[in-house]
Amino acid sequence: MSSNLHQAGVKLLKQLGRHAELVMDVYLSGSVSIDESNASAVDKLQKSDILWRPEPEAELRLKRSVRALLEEALSDERNRQIDSNVGSSLATIKTLADHYKEARHNVDFSASEAYLADLNEHVYSFADGLRYSIRVLWSRINNEFGYVGSINAKIRENELAQSQVTELLNGLEMFQFSELAEIAGDTRELRKLLVTTLQETLSDCTQELSVVQARLLELLGRFRQIRGRTRLLKGWLLYTDLHPDYRPADHVSHKQLPALFNIAEPLLAPAAVDVNNHSLEPELLEIVSSIKRIDRLNDLGTQREQDVSVSLSQTEDFDIPDNPLKLAVDGYFCAVIDSGKSQSALEYLDEQQLPWDRESWLYQVICGYEGLPEEHRRYFELEPIGESDPVYTGNFIIKDVELWLA
Amino acid sequence: MSQATETTIVGTSALIERLLKGQFICRTTDEDGWRALKSPSTREHVEQYLNQINRTIGSAGEGEVFFCGYQQIGDGERKVISSQFKDICNALIPLVEWLVLVQESSGQDAPLSEGVAVRLTELQTRIEDTPAFREQLAKISHYRLFGSTSTNVDAQIKLVFKRLVDLGYLTRPNSEKQIYIATGKLDYLYEVIRFIDETEGLSLEAQAETATQRDLV
Repeated sequence: MSSNLHQAGVKLLKQLGRHAELVMDVYLSGSVSIDESNASAVDKLQKSDILWRPEPEAELRLKRSVRALLEEALSDERNRQIDSNVGSSLATIKTLADHYKEARHNVDFSASEAYLADLNEHVYSFADGLRYSIRVLWSRINNEFGYVGSINAKIRENELAQSQVTELLNGLEMFQFSELAEIAGDTRELRKLLVTTLQETLSDCTQELSVVQARLLELLGRFRQIRGRTRLLKGWLLYTDLHPDYRPADHVSHKQLPALFNIAEPLLAPAAVDVNNHSLEPELLEIVSSIKRIDRLNDLGTQREQDVSVSLSQTEDFDIPDNPLKLAVDGYFCAVIDSGKSQSALEYLDEQQLPWDRESWLYQVICGYEGLPEEHRRYFELEPIGESDPVYTGNFIIKDVELWLA
Repeated sequence: MSQATETTIVGTSALIERLLKGQFICRTTDEDGWRALKSPSTREHVEQYLNQINRTIGSAGEGEVFFCGYQQIGDGERKVISSQFKDICNALIPLVEWLVLVQESSGQDAPLSEGVAVRLTELQTRIEDTPAFREQLAKISHYRLFGSTSTNVDAQIKLVFKRLVDLGYLTRPNSEKQIYIATGKLDYLYEVIRFIDETEGLSLEAQAETATQRDLV
């Protein structure tokens, strides 16, 4: 018998494997219609009760059990079926426990073992089913019912999930451990299954379900808030469309002012730095001095030189080209020597139409004079022309210089 | 220890400054300030400071948005509040129309609320592609609140967004990107509408619901 069952099971699974593509197509699309390409496959699947026809004219669909297997194995979030029928599982467990006790009492070991195995199977599958239901609930919560589009649909989904949680919790309340302990009596195997295992599972699940319930309520609150806001906006538009002259009443004229409208006038205007205000100069300078310039753009080119061969050779001759400004100043000195008369530096600049900036020209002339060797400098006399600063004493502003031969 | 107190003082000084500037403090615009006001001790500290100049901390949106109000209300304060209330009322219709436009054109269930990002370029394409949205935008941008005179969608939408940033309903975290984030001031706006709805008994939500049900039928 059992080998028959084994063979039949293997055959069924093989058939599923062989037509995996077709089965998944049906799973995803919901139904399948027969055409030439799949007629034989569909026929086989229908014979082995994987596909069925709910109504004579309806299309073929997957059997619920196969669907459930796929949903569970694929953790498909569209699955919202939850088996909350705790009562019948409880009844089965109790009945099996009674069978087992009777068989033991009759010293029928083979029967009692079979019953115990069956009972084990039921208890474990019950615990697994419960955990699975909770997992399904969580996965729906975690993506915030993302599989439906509108807020209203989300609210409905949330309400469905809440009712499922309530049902599950009500079902779990039916477990009376005093009763189970009585049924188990002093049989060790039964106590372990009915009292220890079940109790652990149930307390875990009840705890988790209450967390699920809290999360669902929170989500529902949020969905309702969102829906409320949308309706508020739409309602406002509708109302103002219907009553074009509508103005909100003067809610702030009441003696008791609503806290919502108690908004103070801005006291501080936006600040900006006044760069023309001299009294801020020290602070501004401090700020500016703390600015660091980080120039990464030009930094790219510099690479550390590595493994560069160094060759020692004779130093090559090099010369520094004279600064043209300096050469022009030398020309000015020579002109003074040639003419033998005193000449203003700026007048010379204008006469010769030299391209230099007036100020740099003056600086260079003064530098040129100061830079002469002592014995050469004695031949010249340099007289700065200018005036004292009108405000600060001790400052002399040079406007021009005059050079002549001593 | 002294370092720690120092940073709190520096922190609250910036916060007080923002409050006195008339800004709304929420998680999106100023997370540090928002956190500071959420903690009772710093809030008390700030409150004490503000009390000295007849100011107090007001809050809206289930305590998620803070702003500065008057502690004692005399005639002068009442005048200020009354003029501000008028400003809010004048802004309500354009803002609500804008919120509905953003929600409908982006096909979302939820209207904009604090922390939600709006991508201006995406929104603009959607509005440009649909004549009804274009008309709606033109209408909104010509309200006095936004004051656009342009006939060009690009100019209209940019002006509307700029004004909304100026008014504090949106922030633009990165000035190089056209991504705007709604601030807590929008949540304040919802509360104002709800307040008006409840006090005047307009039953806006019920009206909207019957209207949508009629649409469904």
